[in-house]
Amino acid sequence: MKLKTLALLLATTLSTTSFGQDVQETFSGTRILNGHSTETLKANILQFRIEHRFGDLAGANGGINNFFGFDQAADIRFAFEYGITDQLMIGLGRNKGTGDPYSGLLDGFVKYRVLTQNAEKKIPLNVAIIASSTLTYAKAFEDQTLNVIQNYPEFAHRMAYSTQINISRKFGERLSVALMPTYVHRNYVRADDVNGVFALGTAVRFRLSKQYGLIGEYYPTFSKEGFRSEFSNSLSFGFEWITNGHDFKIVLTNSRGFTESQFIPYTFSRWIDEDEVTGKNVVGQFRLGFSIARDFKL
Amino acid sequence: MKRVQLFLLVVLIIGTSAILLDSESQELVSKRQMNVEEMSMEDVLVMLGDDTLIHSINIMDAEKVKTGEDLVRNGSTIRNGKKTERISKHFVCTDCHNLTSEFKDISSQAPEDRLAFATANNLPFLPASTFWGIYNRTSFYNKDYEKKYVDLVIAARDSLENAVQVCAKYCSSGRYLEDWELESIMHYYKSLELKIKDLDLPEPILKSIRMYGQLQPTEKSELISTIKESYVHGYDATFLETMRKDERMYGKDGDAKKGEEIYEKSCLHCHGGSRVTYMNLSKSKLDAKLFWKNRKNYSDYSLYQIIRHGTFAKTGRQQYMPLFTEEKMSDTQLNDLMAYIKQLAGK
Repeated sequence: MKLKTLALLLATTLSTTSFGQDVQETFSGTRILNGHSTETLKANILQFRIEHRFGDLAGANGGINNFFGFDQAADIRFAFEYGITDQLMIGLGRNKGTGDPYSGLLDGFVKYRVLTQNAEKKIPLNVAIIASSTLTYAKAFEDQTLNVIQNYPEFAHRMAYSTQINISRKFGERLSVALMPTYVHRNYVRADDVNGVFALGTAVRFRLSKQYGLIGEYYPTFSKEGFRSEFSNSLSFGFEWITNGHDFKIVLTNSRGFTESQFIPYTFSRWIDEDEVTGKNVVGQFRLGFSIARDFKL
Repeated sequence: MKRVQLFLLVVLIIGTSAILLDSESQELVSKRQMNVEEMSMEDVLVMLGDDTLIHSINIMDAEKVKTGEDLVRNGSTIRNGKKTERISKHFVCTDCHNLTSEFKDISSQAPEDRLAFATANNLPFLPASTFWGIYNRTSFYNKDYEKKYVDLVIAARDSLENAVQVCAKYCSSGRYLEDWELESIMHYYKSLELKIKDLDLPEPILKSIRMYGQLQPTEKSELISTIKESYVHGYDATFLETMRKDERMYGKDGDAKKGEEIYEKSCLHCHGGSRVTYMNLSKSKLDAKLFWKNRKNYSDYSLYQIIRHGTFAKTGRQQYMPLFTEEKMSDTQLNDLMAYIKQLAGK
């Protein structure tokens, strides 16, 4: 009986997402800025992604000395992602890692689009479920006494996971919003951290034209009082340029790394922070980044 | 002796039994009725003494028809329990070709007639000719297709099989067909051949066909000519240059309703929901504004440019947009399309 119900549910889900006047392009591409969108790659599309986050644009570590961050690379991600069906996609990536704490990071994810907004069928929302995991293959620190996690006593300590329910809606032709409750679990954290972090991601996209758009994305995190006091939340703004087959995004963000297990629990930088020398608040711990995606039909 | 007499009597009765039948029954058995409307045009032409087609198929194989239709619609089929390699990663035949009649009067090539028929029958309005009746055509890649495919058209112009191979390999950015694939597609084409009823011939002509046995050779030749004038043997293809800016009407006096039909039945056939291409289009104001903004350009975002030239397959980007010849979209229709774009863009 349970199997029957499950099969019926699955069939209903598959059928509701396969035809009709489905809303297109709620967000451009499979990512909003740092995090996922509800969009998936179409079946048999292989996407190659190059993503980059530079160093601090301004502040103590930015400015002309490192050419506004261009001389540094906070994180770099190369990835192949593939659409198995129009609703189901997978991805495998390699990240440089921010080094704080992860370096040499492999990531993999599965995304399934459960619902597609469709006025005719009275489906008001897009919904996707994303499960991802990361594994760092960096050499472990030998000193076991430091209050860092990079000594990785067990292999499992190198892994982190995230689960996300991504909900979005397109209002008219220009405005799209998203709400992205996310749970990130890291197998190994510092003593003053918590393994499980919940974040309620939000995003908004406004299309200036067919080809250009502005995007904002914010991932506030929630954890027990007294823990994680030095961390901040990922806040990003982006400009997108869509051409035929390319999706190019320029990003300004205070987070340094890619993948949910980096930018959600490990964002330290602040858009406005106190200067250690002068004690004044300065704007600067944010960086430029870009994502380029190229699609290939297999 | 008596037995022999009895036998002869039985033979006599059987032999003369026909005269016992009533006259109506005699009429039925003495004349063979031909349902010519349902006959294939190829059979009738051959019956009248015409040459057979070079790709003629005598006996249509239902299994091959099914396989051919699979290949045409999906680009692959199931063979020996396995899915076969796709002909192209980028296109299937039905992206550019319909499978039914495209004209009320099948001797017409006028794009206006074609759009009217597509609207009435809810068909796509596509850049290539229909497969319906392609079996009966004798000329392919006509006229200006030489400009695009150069020497490739030489062998393809008078051979349907070669034309299919050029399409599979080059037009669809795919590969040459294997023998069994080509054979299956040819059988599928045979299933879409013209029948006498499709030609809308007047009753006297149909009567002549029924009485073909009594016709003189000259009358048969005339009948062959009459039948052959009733359909298109090869669709013309006139490539137009991008319209000069000072000649463009930008939708002025255009029929936006027809333009909307073209947008739906041509543009959105491939671009709707990024079905065939990465360029996603819908009946949205933002999309219309993009085209309206570029109306005075000679870039790919100008409909005046992209419709007449399409794009080209290149290394790393085999997906391309085919061009619309004058026969597949007239300048008047292009202006109708611009009238709709203007309306949709709110200009």
